[in-house]
Amino acid sequence: MARVGVFVCFCGANIADFVDVPTVVEEAKKIRDVKFAIDYKYMCSDPGQQMIRDAIVQHRLTSIVVAACSPRMHEKTFRKALSDAGMNPYLLECANIREHSSWVHQKDKKGATDKAGDLVRMAVAKSIANEQLHEISVPVTKRALVIGGGIAGIQAALDIADARIPVTLVERSPSIGGRMSQLDETFPTLDCSQCILTPKMVDVASHPYIELIPYSEVIELDGYVGNYKAKIRKKASYVNFKTCTGCGACSQKCPVKVPNEYNMGIDKRKAIYTPFPQAVPNKPVIDAEHCTYLLKGKCGICAKVCEKGSIDYKMVDEVIEREIGAVVVATGYDLWDATPYEEYGVGRYKDIINSLEFERMVSANGPTGGVPVRPSDGKVPKTVVFIKCVGSRDKAKGIEFCSKICCMYTAKHAILLHHKVHDSRAYIFYMDIRAAGKGYEEFVNRAQVETGAVYLRGRVSKIYQKGDKLMVRGEDGQLGQEVEVEADLVVLATAVIPDKGNPALARLLGISYDKYGYLSEAHPKLRPVETAKAGIFLAGCTQAPKDIPETVAQASACAAKVCGLFAGDTIKKDPMVSTVSKEFCSGCQNCVKVCPYQAIVTEDIPLGHGAKEMRTVAKINEGVCQGCGSCVAICRSMAINLAGFTDPQIINEIVAI
Amino acid sequence: MITLSYKGKNAFLEAVNKKSGADVLECYQCGKCVSTCPVSNFMDFPPREIMQMIKLELKEETLMANSTWFCLTCSACSGRCPREINIPAVMEAVRHLAIEENFTPDSKQVKNIRKFHEIFLDMIKRYGRNYELRMMAEFNIRTRNLFKDMHLAPTALLKGKIPLGVKPLKSKKAIKKMYEMAEKLEKQNK
Amino acid sequence: MKEVSYFPGCSAHGTSEEFDETVKMVMKTMDVEMEEIPDWNCCGATSAHTLSESLSYALPLRNLVLAEKLSNDTMTIPCASCYQRMKATKVHMDENPELAARINTAVVGEGNYEGKVAIKSMLQYCYEDMGLEAIKAKVTNPISGMKLACYYGCLLTRPKAITQFDSPEYPMSMDRIVEALGAKATPFDFKTECCGASFSISDTDIVLQLSGKILEMAKESGAHAIVVACPLCQSNLDMRQHDIEKKYHVKYDLPVFYLTQLMAIAFGFPKAKMMFAKHIIPVDSALAHIGEVIEEPKKPVKGKKAVQAESEVE
Repeated sequence: MARVGVFVCFCGANIADFVDVPTVVEEAKKIRDVKFAIDYKYMCSDPGQQMIRDAIVQHRLTSIVVAACSPRMHEKTFRKALSDAGMNPYLLECANIREHSSWVHQKDKKGATDKAGDLVRMAVAKSIANEQLHEISVPVTKRALVIGGGIAGIQAALDIADARIPVTLVERSPSIGGRMSQLDETFPTLDCSQCILTPKMVDVASHPYIELIPYSEVIELDGYVGNYKAKIRKKASYVNFKTCTGCGACSQKCPVKVPNEYNMGIDKRKAIYTPFPQAVPNKPVIDAEHCTYLLKGKCGICAKVCEKGSIDYKMVDEVIEREIGAVVVATGYDLWDATPYEEYGVGRYKDIINSLEFERMVSANGPTGGVPVRPSDGKVPKTVVFIKCVGSRDKAKGIEFCSKICCMYTAKHAILLHHKVHDSRAYIFYMDIRAAGKGYEEFVNRAQVETGAVYLRGRVSKIYQKGDKLMVRGEDGQLGQEVEVEADLVVLATAVIPDKGNPALARLLGISYDKYGYLSEAHPKLRPVETAKAGIFLAGCTQAPKDIPETVAQASACAAKVCGLFAGDTIKKDPMVSTVSKEFCSGCQNCVKVCPYQAIVTEDIPLGHGAKEMRTVAKINEGVCQGCGSCVAICRSMAINLAGFTDPQIINEIVAI
Repeated sequence: MITLSYKGKNAFLEAVNKKSGADVLECYQCGKCVSTCPVSNFMDFPPREIMQMIKLELKEETLMANSTWFCLTCSACSGRCPREINIPAVMEAVRHLAIEENFTPDSKQVKNIRKFHEIFLDMIKRYGRNYELRMMAEFNIRTRNLFKDMHLAPTALLKGKIPLGVKPLKSKKAIKKMYEMAEKLEKQNK
Repeated sequence: MKEVSYFPGCSAHGTSEEFDETVKMVMKTMDVEMEEIPDWNCCGATSAHTLSESLSYALPLRNLVLAEKLSNDTMTIPCASCYQRMKATKVHMDENPELAARINTAVVGEGNYEGKVAIKSMLQYCYEDMGLEAIKAKVTNPISGMKLACYYGCLLTRPKAITQFDSPEYPMSMDRIVEALGAKATPFDFKTECCGASFSISDTDIVLQLSGKILEMAKESGAHAIVVACPLCQSNLDMRQHDIEKKYHVKYDLPVFYLTQLMAIAFGFPKAKMMFAKHIIPVDSALAHIGEVIEEPKKPVKGKKAVQAESEVE
């Protein structure tokens, strides 16, 4: 005979304002199998949990229903309360009367209360059929894969490796360093980006626990938490890194010039190149798309000048495999292309550049020797207009969100401009100055006071050319007056967008992404570095725009998560997985096709007891199974059973209402 | 000093939104419309401020503003608005509300503008088409500015720029009837 | 031979007769037969929608209904303002059939409206339906040597949801057409700024200021003349030019052509038929440039955008 306990939560005012909680308790008491029902302000708090623990013992309860928030929120909390009272934790059922009732029926308290009552009735009925389940243990491969070698990937790799856990760091370009290596000085302290980054890059290369695989991409990921298998394509570099000394003779002599990505296309690199002097590894690669020899079979100069004979035109892409237990994704950001801003003449005027281009110009190792110049005539600009929110906070032409970092780096740009061109003046068009961060507001203040940067509140409406000036027209909201600034150079703080490869990467990793291509975290507040797929974590701008301090913090958080996951020799997994009743399985293999996790394989079993003929049936790998239930729904023979969601449980729920 | 007191309902805002099909609440006051608008410096409140006034329920001030009468419906603002607000539609809605509730800004310019449009519509009512010369003449008479543009007259007329007559419509009556029906329909809608 | 319905608009019989006449020449050359909407009425222009919502729909809707009685699938309109009112009405009516039915039965009373006729401005028709290649093929008297600032005004490309044609900020269709005629289109940033439109009469000062800026930028672009496809723009920029010069103490001397006038010239029609006498600013100085060789300015210092394309070999 079932003895069910029902615990209804007020959730402060979240539930109680729109659902009459005492009524729900009274309704619950009317259910035959309910032997105890009570409400409390915060059921998840310790006193609330204590009520559950006490009731289990006092009333000899056989299953528990907690009517509160979403099980995604607190199912684990309440399961633990059950265990502590000596009860199997899977005898818990959550009735979600917050997200499913109070929040969505705020205008109808009676209706919301009735619905909450129904949800409780269903949960009670289901709980009666609940079975005792036990966590599954799976072994762990203690190696982490980090995708992306910017500051996020570097930090995560170093922190994990420092805990003596092996790391494989895969970087798409020939060198690690990422966007941060392109920056000049960094806010709010103006320390040199290279000075603080390059030592870390060197650490990565020399760390005994880090395997750095540059010029490579992850192309496949199979398996499940603790037991992933990754395929990595190493792009042919056409240079034997083992013998190459990095002398640079090949690049010097190479006759092919290609726009230099590191310098945002402001100058040229060669077809055989090292991205920048401080690159790690400091070895050149041949860019196959532009190399004359690889394209046409002529030239071969690099091979001739290489004293070590390290050039190998016959090199081909290579696919390698690594077994790993966890993945950190850190693919970084890109800048939005501002071409849709036709009113600014983007693309028509050479003297409109974006902020990374400006960053390269003022950078000491940049193409202009650290001095900003006008691309049109090479002159040093005296009046520079910075426009913030280009593409950001613009749902008409760009993206809706705030790119977060532009307010700060634009203040930095004003200061750097002043440092490089003393008699210059920065005009900054802004909508709001968002300087929330340690030392940030002070930094903006410094830009305004020390350099005289003029802040004008308004969005620029038009840019047009007059003589050799660009006329920048906007409203100065403070004056309530239209203004036109005669500018020599215009710098657009264009929106921060995720790497365009994110959706494809997300699909191959089996994680989700938002409409902009940012990878999605498991919970916006409480699980910001985890993805919904166990064992895959996010660091840096791949998840949302972030500055360096935040990126580093998130990367270290990923490392802590990975270390935690690898702390034991096995990891525990929810027992909500499917099992196949072999005797009923017809071997149609529809379940194999629908399983989104590739958790179902087939096996051959004897046709009958002791028979020699074999037949094929489905077999589920419980380590991989995520308990989605697709196989249960498709199985015509009703041979598959999902623990925690068995047919009797579901039928009970339906019958209850 | 303006005292803001919430009366439990944003009646004016809702009326403007309903009439315009736009959502004024979307405005975040970036001012892109102001520097886009070719006539904002002739307005006593440029579009950004009109949006704010609607949000603040400053009904009378908004309806008395000359702004909506100056709006040329050139649609440059809405093409650039980052919040996708149909600003010309909002301006038009405010203007129509002002007409319905008999608010006319106390400005000679606005009176002239309104007079011009009335004469223009009257021309169509009478001839089915615009009779340019007559319209200009009537405008000058009704605004008591007989010599406006007279310096242009000799060249314009001699060169045949502005013809002396108009080819009226055969179905003039149909147009006149349309005017009556339109007026009826608008009264019903009120 | 193609057939298309034609809505000339009031100004075609008034201030912009030369537009109307040259449109007919161009259409004839391009083998397009135009069928005028019988007994069409004024579209209501700015005035109708300023004062009355229902009239602003009803006046154009009557023309749309009349147009449907002809068998042509497209109606072309030279006047930008008429085009805008008719197209806006069509878009609103097509999106909102209930409103269409109400206005149509309550006010118009000329029969059913189905929304089956496409509406195109003359510019759009030339660019999309005739096509640059076909236009080029008919050029017998190229107007090479002329530098022209193409001015589109507000209504030909804006708002995008209504016009569904070219860019609202930096359109190029007219530029490409005049280049097909042999001329050079100058880079002109004020292509779509407003000229002041109907304030020409009711508040002339506004027009002087706005049109003045347009003339200034056209001059700055190095143009010999301005090209338009809108009677009101033409009238503001041409008829008001002397007033502008006087007010701001400048001298522009920029003739303002209709696109179709230049097309007709390039197609070999005699100058005498262009009704240039109606222009306030004489056109001869600009036309005198025909046949001149335009020297390309030396290439500026290589900017980064110029070198992005392909890799190059030293």
